[in-house]
Amino acid sequence: MLLEVEDLRVSFQTDHGLVRAVDGISFSLDRGETLGIVGESGSGKSVTNLAILGLIPQPPGRIESGRANFRGQNLLTLPRRELQKIRGNRIAMIFQDPMTSLNPFLTIAQQLTEVTMLHRGWKYKQALDHAVEMLERVGIPAASRRVNDYPYQFSGGMRQRVMIAMALSCQPDLLIADEPTTALDVTIQAQILELIQQLQKEEGTAVILITHDLGVVANVCRRVNVMYAGRFVEEADVDALFAQPRHPYTLGLLNSLPRLDEQRGARLDPIAGQPPDLTNIPPGCVFHPRCPFRIDRCPQEVPALTERIDHRRYACFVDVQHQARVAVKENG
Amino acid sequence: MGWFIIKRLGWMLLTLWVVYSVSFVLMRSVPGSPLSAERKVSPEIEQNLKRRYRLDQPLGVQYWDDLRRIVPHGDLGASLKIQDFSVNEIIAQGFPVSASLGILALAFALTLGLTAGIISAVRRGSLADFSMMTIATIGIALPNFVIAGIVIILFVFLWPLFPPGGWGRISNIILPAFCLGAPYAAYIARLTRTGMLDVLSQDYIRTAFAKGLSERTVILRHALRGALLPVVSFLGPAIAGVLTGSLVVEKIFGIPGLGVHFVNAALQLDYPLAMGLVLLYTTLLYVMNLLVDLSYAILDPRVKLH
Repeated sequence: MLLEVEDLRVSFQTDHGLVRAVDGISFSLDRGETLGIVGESGSGKSVTNLAILGLIPQPPGRIESGRANFRGQNLLTLPRRELQKIRGNRIAMIFQDPMTSLNPFLTIAQQLTEVTMLHRGWKYKQALDHAVEMLERVGIPAASRRVNDYPYQFSGGMRQRVMIAMALSCQPDLLIADEPTTALDVTIQAQILELIQQLQKEEGTAVILITHDLGVVANVCRRVNVMYAGRFVEEADVDALFAQPRHPYTLGLLNSLPRLDEQRGARLDPIAGQPPDLTNIPPGCVFHPRCPFRIDRCPQEVPALTERIDHRRYACFVDVQHQARVAVKENG
Repeated sequence: MGWFIIKRLGWMLLTLWVVYSVSFVLMRSVPGSPLSAERKVSPEIEQNLKRRYRLDQPLGVQYWDDLRRIVPHGDLGASLKIQDFSVNEIIAQGFPVSASLGILALAFALTLGLTAGIISAVRRGSLADFSMMTIATIGIALPNFVIAGIVIILFVFLWPLFPPGGWGRISNIILPAFCLGAPYAAYIARLTRTGMLDVLSQDYIRTAFAKGLSERTVILRHALRGALLPVVSFLGPAIAGVLTGSLVVEKIFGIPGLGVHFVNAALQLDYPLAMGLVLLYTTLLYVMNLLVDLSYAILDPRVKLH
């Protein structure tokens, strides 16, 4: 195992009370694997990964419990200096908005070389050569000239390529991509995803892909975790998840997607209600107030994310697939 | 860049002319005359004095005569109140004094203000942040003469490290520079803190931390430039103000600077001296703001001068 996260809990002290952003998350990741984490805004996807790298400002944030074992070290208790040796070196991160994630005051060369100069101890000349090479690999034309440009001279897609080049400069074991395509045009999105996949194949880097876009997950990941209100509600291989969602929330997400094979004019079927207020999480299953399959047990007990007889893992008391079949039969 | 500077200097000449004209009209519309003294002089003497200083000419003639004298040589004329001194001589004597005091005050204000501002922002909410910002607020709120009184009591009487006043030795300049610089230091500290907090919340700072850089590198290399921009804007007018002297500080410490003349020239209707000082201040302000714009272009690559 490359990374093993166990029972991670992160909370934030806000003016409106304590927000439990991540509420007992566990997952693991092998070398070279791609894991998707899907969920809507505010479900705790980003916080989970920022917490692993110690990038949550404390206060107001607080890591209440959990372990994150990375190559035998618990990242959550590692001294800051040790953690800095891992950040950008063994675990790298790219962020949602490439327009704001690069420093507007520094040239691309300055921003790329500082990573390898820091972690590899390279001299500037060597770091610069490597930076140009990385820019070429991510598809920046005329890289040796453009390396001296500032971020504002690049387009959004090009900036995200620069971010990827920067993240992969030290050949990390793990790349955390936090909504890497959300701020980009659809055509550019596909290019960036392809680039990440291609580089991943070449370098053997493991990837955690955080997104709210099920389409992105379907394209890139092998395994997916569905996150809702700070908890994982379902974990599955990507094909199985799309073919047979087992948690009502996953089912709701899939039903709310527009489909190509659907009749024109057919209405989308959104999930009823609103995501819960994280300062006041409902008792029992967090999804029960919005769940069409709710039974009496749901508000009283938290369903555990357990492995079922068909090797699927989901946190629900009800067999959604069975219920759905019954419903279809009843309606004729 | 060169064209930009030439263009701005052209605008400066135009601004100076407007300032000259407005000041001329304003000064002449103040009731009273520079020659009205406590003791009544005979009409003949008054007439002679008026002729001597050309005050008997029509205003239009005075306006053009003064302008023609100032423009080619920068000759600001003779002071009406300070006997045997031309305005140029008064400025040549007072400005270096006020300017050296001002430069030291600014150096002190920048060192203290930037350090306090950065530390407060990085350790926001801490005791250090709270106490430094409290001191900064007090520094902005307290008038110069109160600060001067306090430091004189402390460092002249209780713990006699410095002389109470005078000019010419290094020890003379320390206390007045501190008093003059203290409000600026406080203001710079607040501006730096606000600017730094703003920058520290940016995405690219998170990126910098995610790269494994130490806090020190992130702050000095990635955050400081952006945080300095508001301070730089403030510094332009502040430098112009601080270099031309302060009446209060110069009076208290007995320093022969320009500050006193600013007030006296206006009160005594010393037309040439007041005009000279106004033009000096305008020029300084303009040049400093030009330097601010140039520093912006150096600090922020997105800023293009044209």
